[in-house]
Amino acid sequence: MRTLILLAGAALTLHADSYFLTVAGLGGEDQYEQRFTGWASDLNKLLKSEPGAKVDTLSGKDATRANIEAKLKALATQTKADDSFVLVLIGHGSYDDLDYKFNVPGPDISATELASLLDKIPAKQVVVNATSASGGSLSTLQKPKRVVITATKAGSEKNATVFTRFFIESLRDPTADTDKNQSISVLEAFRYAEEKTAKYFETQKRLATEHAIIEDLGKGEGVKAPSAENGEGLVAGRQVLLHLGSVASIVNDPEKQKLLKRKDELETQIDELKYRKAAVPQREYQQQMRQMLLDLAKVQEELDK
Amino acid sequence: MKLQSTLLVAAVLSAGFYFAQRSGMFRATPVEAQTSSQVTQCEALRKHGDPGTTACYQALSRSRDLGLKAEGLYGLRDYRNANDAFRDAVKARPKDANLKVRWGRMYVDYSQPGDAADLFKEALEIDEKNAKALYGMALVASDAFEGNAADFAEKALKADPNLVEARELLARIALEDNHPEKAVEEAKKALDTSGEALDALAILATVDWLDDKPGKEWIDRVLKINPTYGEAYSIAGHFFVINRRYDEGIQYYRKALELKPDLWSARAELGVNLMRFGQNKEAREHLEQCFNANYSSPLVRNTLKLLDSIDKRVETFTTPTTVLKLDKKESALLRPYFQAELDRAMATYEKRYKFKITQPVQLEVYPDHGDFEVRTMGLPGLGALGVTFGKYVAMDSPSGRPPGQFHWASTLWHEFSHVYVLSMTNHRVPRWFTEGLAVYEETAASGATDWGDRLDPPSIIAMRDKKLLPIADLDRGFIHPTYPEQVIVSYFQGGQVITFISEKWGYDKVLAMIHDFADRKDTVEAIQKELNLKPEEFDAQFFPWIDAKYKKQVDGFEDWQKQLKMVSQAAKNKDWSAVITEGTAIRDLYPDFVEVGNVYEFLANAYLAKDDKAKAMAELERYSAIGGRSPRALEQLADMQIEAGKKREAAATLERLNLIYLEDEASHDKLGKLYTELKNPNGAIREYQAVLAAGTIDKAGAHFGLAQAFAATNRNEEALDEVYNSLEAAPGFKPAQALLRELSSKQSNDKQSAPKPAGNVKQ
Repeated sequence: MRTLILLAGAALTLHADSYFLTVAGLGGEDQYEQRFTGWASDLNKLLKSEPGAKVDTLSGKDATRANIEAKLKALATQTKADDSFVLVLIGHGSYDDLDYKFNVPGPDISATELASLLDKIPAKQVVVNATSASGGSLSTLQKPKRVVITATKAGSEKNATVFTRFFIESLRDPTADTDKNQSISVLEAFRYAEEKTAKYFETQKRLATEHAIIEDLGKGEGVKAPSAENGEGLVAGRQVLLHLGSVASIVNDPEKQKLLKRKDELETQIDELKYRKAAVPQREYQQQMRQMLLDLAKVQEELDK
Repeated sequence: MKLQSTLLVAAVLSAGFYFAQRSGMFRATPVEAQTSSQVTQCEALRKHGDPGTTACYQALSRSRDLGLKAEGLYGLRDYRNANDAFRDAVKARPKDANLKVRWGRMYVDYSQPGDAADLFKEALEIDEKNAKALYGMALVASDAFEGNAADFAEKALKADPNLVEARELLARIALEDNHPEKAVEEAKKALDTSGEALDALAILATVDWLDDKPGKEWIDRVLKINPTYGEAYSIAGHFFVINRRYDEGIQYYRKALELKPDLWSARAELGVNLMRFGQNKEAREHLEQCFNANYSSPLVRNTLKLLDSIDKRVETFTTPTTVLKLDKKESALLRPYFQAELDRAMATYEKRYKFKITQPVQLEVYPDHGDFEVRTMGLPGLGALGVTFGKYVAMDSPSGRPPGQFHWASTLWHEFSHVYVLSMTNHRVPRWFTEGLAVYEETAASGATDWGDRLDPPSIIAMRDKKLLPIADLDRGFIHPTYPEQVIVSYFQGGQVITFISEKWGYDKVLAMIHDFADRKDTVEAIQKELNLKPEEFDAQFFPWIDAKYKKQVDGFEDWQKQLKMVSQAAKNKDWSAVITEGTAIRDLYPDFVEVGNVYEFLANAYLAKDDKAKAMAELERYSAIGGRSPRALEQLADMQIEAGKKREAAATLERLNLIYLEDEASHDKLGKLYTELKNPNGAIREYQAVLAAGTIDKAGAHFGLAQAFAATNRNEEALDEVYNSLEAAPGFKPAQALLRELSSKQSNDKQSAPKPAGNVKQ
């Protein structure tokens, strides 16, 4: 299913548009100012390598509430339902038990205001709130089919975060592509950054001051480890952030349609079997899985000819 | 014991024999001259082991006088209520120095030296010549093996020449410094003051016992004064433990408890020492008895807490000669590397020392440094990296410290040198010798010059200031350091002494000295016998040798420091030309300096900024060869070497990194790929298994690498398993699919070409 989804996603990218808006908020101190704008710039460069991506960045004195509102309002008219939109917030945030605020030059912008603006955008959405206290924004931002990632699990985690650094790194590091389909999905980027952030604190022998979570059902708490069991991660797995290579060229070849159909069937069956793993005797699971993987490898060989 | 040279706190705590010091075993709980005759009466009863002691203290504990009540509760070892009573008493009599001293003494007994010291200081603020307060300060300093303990004791004696406990303490300090003759002298002085100085008698008995003499004269006198004075045996237990004669130490603690079952300090020490030797069940029983009797000192609490969790967390791997205990969360990653070094170290030492250890040795590796400290010392706060208890070694895991802070393989080899030397000498070896030899072996036995500790600034300063100790007195540098870095300097000096002997007279003389110590010769006798020198003659040769060896570093140290600051500033200013000019000029003045802010990394960064990768790589190669341990710098070097096509060198760099820090999956992955390219599939297998054990998110990639490596060694069944694992994680992973097709086709061909069973031939 993952590959099937990918192909669907890849096909969609041929017809639909991908929009990205990164906002680097107020640093407050030189070191944070430089760090936040540096991260935004890095992300900007990486995303611009995605063919057809429409990438926009607000940082420094431009990252005001008015400018954010203007960009999001514009996207509400520019995008279609098939399009995708990824909003990345970098910087400091705060939470007062009622609402989350993203710290920007001039008046801050609250999670409620952001949610209201995002609700007007028809495109499929991913919000990566990588700021401190970002966990406080999750309940306000969550919505069915919208992926929300926050760098902290709660508004009370107030220290400056490192999650952003590893989220950006996931787009550079091929090992983040865990299903080896030459693209980094939102889910893969999250898993990579979450894991690396946890290891960062462990390695530095420091108490972890941030615990990233993801939520894409539109209800309930965010989770650290999305899985079939908790139902989280399915939407995020479908959403490709960045392609590492060309995967779409064969999709439109009519001679390959039969093989592609067989490939899709096998991939679906493999995914289904994985979800049933706990209910299938181990030996039977292994036999079925191995046979399907071998069949898939042979189909792929034919497709590659 | 292997110390971390960069953690000077270790020096303050004096190389680790802190653990046996909280026993209260030397404390006769003397009575203040000013305190009530009722207290004096109770103390006299206790001193003589009179059965009426408890009743006496019970009566005191019911007193309306808060001070007397506190004394009574303290005498009954009801520490919690005694503490409340002392607090109330001090509140009522805030200017009573003696009351504060007594309260402080209770804290000493209860292993809270910080609180005790505060109270003694407060008492001294009220009465600066209070002998008991000065003695209290001496006790606290002595517990922490601080070099000023004897000074405080001398001051106490000056304030009150008849303070027998202070004299007894001086005897104890002398014996800890491995000066038994001085200990005897001080103990006899104490006996001159009081014929019933029980601890002085115990010290005299201990001196005999340590020398395998009966000590009957002294212990008989003790028992005549007090037939239940278990403290005498507890004192002996302490000295046997600090001399690493643990089995005998445990026996003495048992004897102490036979005489006095409620001697909780001795029971706690017995429990802790049993745990060191893996006898966790009995250890727990003793510690729980202490806890249930309200003797829940930090030592008892910490050890019980560790015992509660340790068995659940540890995984044990045994071979006929070794027992390796690893935390379950990292056992898969660490085991191949630790087992390999353990086997290699033992094989090397067996050959080198011409000695075979008959029983299995045990190595325990702790990812949580706090657990390691409790396991070894009972309390947190020591900078040790590894500790040896006979055939049991405990050490920090590479994950137990920030990356690059220590070389775990070097630590392992250091500790296992102790295992052999302690076995060969039946634990009768001076500290300076076994530590010096272990330091020496880190590079000499391992054959790796980049292992071990580098020449550090405290040792340079000590050489400059002529602070190295005479050989006959070198143990003192380990046990009672007089300046914070002296333990580290003593390790360095010990290593240099062994190097000197080895270079001048040959390594066989070092081996011969091990046998001399086994024959119960001391340092002076061993030096005399093997080198035909008196200790002062040895010093007269050694000091000029070491001065000449490190002349460049010592003479140039101040200039080097100043210039390094300039290099650092130039790097901050991005003045790369200045970094290169200044850095190159000072690099070889003190080449051993590889800590944070070293010249090599400054130079490498400067060359990189000037786009001269070859020179940057050359600097990092120098850094690595001399013993640089920063994982980041070593990874950077490996990347440069890969880019320059120096694959073998890159693999060697990453192998070096493996002996420093094992948790970086990216480095394992890189090394796996290099080994695949270098046609070293077994190396690749180990590395890809490490990638998986490190919990990589790229499972498909790691399983695929492993499959390739297995296929390269014709382990096709395992290769198939791994390629399927890879594809299960990433069904569309094309290289894995190709390998699956290849392996699958090979498997089919093998089946077809396999000979038919014999039964079919008959048909």
